[in-house]
Amino acid sequence: MALWFFRGLARQVVTTRYPATLDPWASALPTPPSFVPAGLTFALVELLVDCCPSGALWRENRDLAIDIGACTTCGRCQRVAPDAVVASGVFELAATAPAHLVKRIPIRGGEG
Amino acid sequence: MSHADAAPGPDEGRLAARLGGEIRGLFGRSLHIRTIDTGSCAVCESEIRLLLAPHYDLHRLGLFFTPAPRHADLLMVTGPVVRVMESALEKTYAAMPEPKLVVAVGACPLGGVFDEDEIVRGRLDRVLPVDVFIPGCPPSPLALLQGLLLAVGRLGEKVIALNLIAREETAR
Repeated sequence: MALWFFRGLARQVVTTRYPATLDPWASALPTPPSFVPAGLTFALVELLVDCCPSGALWRENRDLAIDIGACTTCGRCQRVAPDAVVASGVFELAATAPAHLVKRIPIRGGEG
Repeated sequence: MSHADAAPGPDEGRLAARLGGEIRGLFGRSLHIRTIDTGSCAVCESEIRLLLAPHYDLHRLGLFFTPAPRHADLLMVTGPVVRVMESALEKTYAAMPEPKLVVAVGACPLGGVFDEDEIVRGRLDRVLPVDVFIPGCPPSPLALLQGLLLAVGRLGEKVIALNLIAREETAR
């Protein structure tokens, strides 16, 4: 207690910062998918777009687009293509504009 | 993962301009939060409630929950904005004193669960000007904390740099 008091006096602030280390269970949190461009074929992307229940995935020409805001981290796409889709492990996703949440992944696997 | 404060980028100019001098000067970075449920399944609410638990301890950051919109500086909205709650949402927003912030919490107000139809509006930014979007279904308390600190201007936005491309060596 005394340590906290003097530390607060020294820094002129008694509140602490955002968690300096992550919680031990943070690695178990469901996170949006991350993609391996070389493993994505156009046929596979069609499957992925169809399996997404929240419409977070769609195809834009030669890119796969994902709206992280619409993603409910259900994991269906990871089950459809476990080699090309993995959990990103990122959950600090707050954004100041919806456009920041839409990401495009190049499809490099060819027609497949 | 580093939690050092990120340098503000050009994309944060809008938020920074609005926050700079206003909220910091008026509230000393201390905010009162009003939550409103517009048809949520209540999981987002339980995650928001966990922010008050000792693990996360929201009060140490100068953030407090208030039951009255007239005392609130920040509105946290959960749910897909059902049309029966639309007038309540607008009245709540109108009752809040300026300057005020709106945070959309979870996939529902970000348009991920319900499309616009005769029952829901589907997206919160069709109804109110939204300052911070927090994805997740539900967002974990850590994600909520990061979103709130982004709204108050204490943390930089991290999602801009995220490209969701896995490392190439994971490809076979």
